[in-house]
Amino acid sequence: MTESRPPDDGARKSSFGELVEPEIEVLLRVALTITSNRADAEDLVQESLLRAYRAIDRFDGRHPRAWLLTILRNTNANLHRRRRPGTIGDWELIRTARPAFGRAELPSAEDSFINDELHANLDTAVRALDPRFRTALILVDVHDLSYSEAAAVMGVPVGTVMSRLSRARDRVRKSLRLSPLTRGDLS
Amino acid sequence: MTGTLRQMLTCHWSARRIQRYLDADPAAPLTPGEVARLEGHLATCERCTRIVQEHRTLHRALSRWSGATSVDSRSVDRVREFLSTIDDQDPT
Ligand SMILES: [Zn+2]
Repeated sequence: MTESRPPDDGARKSSFGELVEPEIEVLLRVALTITSNRADAEDLVQESLLRAYRAIDRFDGRHPRAWLLTILRNTNANLHRRRRPGTIGDWELIRTARPAFGRAELPSAEDSFINDELHANLDTAVRALDPRFRTALILVDVHDLSYSEAAAVMGVPVGTVMSRLSRARDRVRKSLRLSPLTRGDLS
Repeated sequence: MTGTLRQMLTCHWSARRIQRYLDADPAAPLTPGEVARLEGHLATCERCTRIVQEHRTLHRALSRWSGATSVDSRSVDRVREFLSTIDDQDPT
């Protein structure tokens, strides 16, 4: 990327655009999770893109998403120094903005037993997690990030993501199993 | 007796790999040998098979939550617009 970077600004800008364009949505989703609202999320993404553009010469061209997520994380840390690293500040947003599960876009026979009761229990179980574990779970299982991408967002090594994720899942799984409302769905 | 102990050890071995098996993440792949051994165990072990099913259910349920942070297309448009003006703001 560095060597092949076109010399003129127009071409530089268009190659940066090509790199970033496919990642806009995931950046906004993650930003929405780590900020408190949509306006802040947009600001965070825009500020991150600006920083990414300035830093493009130092980017090796591999794993653009993880690179951009690292910048997003650092930008957020700079903007909100008091926020604890590795935690997601906006659990409430996910919780309250969740759509009704009854009207899933792609209902399947397999998913039909994931009912509202299970989701209520799941909500309680995920809420009870230590924020560091919860962050790993949300980034990987909700936002579908890879281990490396989650590590970039959390600012921790991949192995730490894996162990937090594993503990989060095991705890949630076990608390759902104990819940009477799951009626055998998970037990 | 020995068979039971071996089964328990295999369950323990499997439990430590089930999530990596299901995630199939490029950062932490199982070896083909591990996959074969795990799948062989799952074919015969009810307990571990149930754990796999629980993980699958959990993941499916959680992936539905992504709807909560479904991104407004206007947000995407605004960021895209910003992207197109980025060198005007930062004439490096
Ligand atoms: Zn087993």
